[in-house]
Amino acid sequence: MARTPAPARSALGAIVALALLLALWSGAAPAQSPAPSSETDIKAAFLYKFGDFVQWPPEAFAGEDRFVVGVMGADEIAEALERLVGERRVKGYPIAVRRLRPGDSLRGVHVLFVGSGESGRLAEILAAADAQPILAVTDSEAGLRAGSMINFVVENQRVRFDIALPPAERARLKISSRLLAVARKVIAS
Amino acid sequence: MPRRRWHAASIALFVCAAARAQGDIASLADLSLEELANVPVTSVTRRPEPLKDAAASIYVITAEEIRRSGVRTLPEALRLAPNLTVARIDAGQYAITARGFNNAVGNKLLVLVDGRTLYTPVFSGVFWDQQDVVLEDVERIEVISGPGATLWGANAVNGVINVITKSSSDTLGTLAAGGIGNRDRLALARYGGRLSGDATYRIYGKYSDARENEKEDGTRAFDGRAFTQVGFRVDARSGPGRFTLQGDAYELRGQDRVLGTLNLGALDASGGNLLARYNHRLGEGSEVQLQAYVDHMARRDSVVLHPTVDTVDLEAQHALAFGRHRLVYGAGYRASHDDEEPAFFSVFVPPSDTLEWWNVFAQDEIALSEALTLTAGAKVERNDYTGEEFLPSVRLGWRVSPSHFLWTSLSRAVRSPSRFDRAVASPAFPVAAGPDFVSEVAKVYELGYRASVSRLSFSATAFLHEWDRLRSGTPPPLVLENKISGRMSGTEMWATLQASERLRITGGLTTLHDDLQLDPTSTDPFGTENVTLRNDPSRQWTLRASLDMSERQELQAALRHVSALPAPELDAYTALDLRYAWRPSKRVELSVVGENLLDPRHPEFATSAAPPVELRRSVFVAVRFSGF
Repeated sequence: MARTPAPARSALGAIVALALLLALWSGAAPAQSPAPSSETDIKAAFLYKFGDFVQWPPEAFAGEDRFVVGVMGADEIAEALERLVGERRVKGYPIAVRRLRPGDSLRGVHVLFVGSGESGRLAEILAAADAQPILAVTDSEAGLRAGSMINFVVENQRVRFDIALPPAERARLKISSRLLAVARKVIAS
Repeated sequence: MPRRRWHAASIALFVCAAARAQGDIASLADLSLEELANVPVTSVTRRPEPLKDAAASIYVITAEEIRRSGVRTLPEALRLAPNLTVARIDAGQYAITARGFNNAVGNKLLVLVDGRTLYTPVFSGVFWDQQDVVLEDVERIEVISGPGATLWGANAVNGVINVITKSSSDTLGTLAAGGIGNRDRLALARYGGRLSGDATYRIYGKYSDARENEKEDGTRAFDGRAFTQVGFRVDARSGPGRFTLQGDAYELRGQDRVLGTLNLGALDASGGNLLARYNHRLGEGSEVQLQAYVDHMARRDSVVLHPTVDTVDLEAQHALAFGRHRLVYGAGYRASHDDEEPAFFSVFVPPSDTLEWWNVFAQDEIALSEALTLTAGAKVERNDYTGEEFLPSVRLGWRVSPSHFLWTSLSRAVRSPSRFDRAVASPAFPVAAGPDFVSEVAKVYELGYRASVSRLSFSATAFLHEWDRLRSGTPPPLVLENKISGRMSGTEMWATLQASERLRITGGLTTLHDDLQLDPTSTDPFGTENVTLRNDPSRQWTLRASLDMSERQELQAALRHVSALPAPELDAYTALDLRYAWRPSKRVELSVVGENLLDPRHPEFATSAAPPVELRRSVFVAVRFSGF
């Protein structure tokens, strides 16, 4: 029943060569990459981070004592955000996570995240937020086309995002150049 | 042992992570924007990874790994888990296990698809040739080697495979895929849509077939097959409630098997299932889950087993968190009715029976300190043959530092008797079931270590299973007894290296050492060499490299080695699979997969002294379209 040895040995040589080739092809490695995390957690962390790199017009905080993140159609992200916020602050305000449903009032909301659970009604939801000082963030392929300002994409196992400036300008939001630099793609006005 | 007393302490493998998730996500929030954009995603999932930090030997097969491997059936996807032994017996049948006792009728592994167990009460194992899913719709497959009996019950002795498909809200739109190769073909289509703002659905159909193989001596294997499956899933949300309804129906068609001038007929099967599940959030960390399903299957095989089985299964559980505790408790009931037609190798007496199982379980995870977590729990399961079985476990996890985790566990698990053990007879051989056959029992000790340092993640587990009352026989007329005992020990290791942004390398190694003895009072002529006991390799390793050649092209190479099988003897083999994929546009992917490339043909498993079926080198080209 001797079957494998001889051809397998020469084949193993071929594999070693192939492995080397793969290693060369892949090119230089980045300096360091952190431990993997769940997609939900990374997106939640981004939603919190965005606050530091966007400037709202002063009236967005008139009479407000909270930085409000509204979440629609993404319970897991809302849960992750609730775990994350703790004692953290954005622009000096404590953070409030508000779970919203389509049609709910967007008064006092600074960041609106619409998850894939609501991707069917995206255009309608975003139209309700248009031209108000609300940073609209989405999680679906049609996001930017529907009027979103920031849209998440998963690429090469990393959570990245694209930015569309025209709706942000209509909302009088200023997006920092550092955020633009990290974006995968920026649609200019 | 206090069997009847309800031991309320317990663990929750699946609530485990919640306590620590807080730490994980807080550390993410402290990263810079640029660092955050570079954090790899563990799996492309929208739910938290629940088993990530559990004190158990767990490998999670991600949707991404399945996609990159180009596998086309569920059993083939299981090869991606380094802690499983997957041996293809012929075109459709597999022997799959963890930690030994691999066998065509392997009975020590529990397999679930979306909470529905695939186990058949006929022999306590899985008819792998009747199981498939649309792999594109799989969110992840959790593979736990070692006992999971405290949560999942008898049969989860050597491992648990938990296949979790995506919510239909994550599979909106159209998917169509097809492929053709020299050994098999595939066609599938899925459509997902919205019923209302809060309800989504998907429907799918999948067809696959495989060509007949030859045995080692050049004779025909008669294993050609065609498998068709259709199904649906509906998910709805309403406030704190989530509801899922799903179902599948399938048909397997084999080819006529001819022995000389005798036509034994084809191996055909059909079946279906319908499952409903409701989750309700009661408050922070508190959730109730209710689940019910029915499952029907009919297997028409005049040679080995010819059963029709109907199963009803009900389950309720409540998970809650208070103070330092994360508690989950619940109860379940299952009833299964089977009708066994006589086959060449098996006749059942009585030919038809109804079996019932009851269980209650509780498991508590206690944060002893910031770094130490104790998980303790037990399940009491009642079956009609042996009464109550007590299935306790204790696990201790120690987060030594943010990137190092040590754990250890002690558990007791049983494989309770199946219809086969208690009711089989054989017209071909003088065989009789064992009227006194009782549960096979394992006491399991485990020690594990996990690390995640920079671009490398690593897991190592050492295990010792002390077995008692394993199945043995007597000289003809064969009567089944419980007279084998001994130890199975070994190690499981795997590591993943994200070598660069574009190259990921995963390697795995398992070793197994068995030391089984026949009781001196036994008269079993085969002893521990009995072919229905086990035929395990002492060593296997896998090495997989995935490379993104460009935004649109990817390459994967997977190499695996399985050492020789002892009885019936089979040579070691090494197999290489390669896949290249190209996406000419966002919606279209073309790929070519080569499997078993190192030799023209080899067998992977031998079930008897008869020549084993050889699997050939194969090439498969596929196209996939996704759109709205």
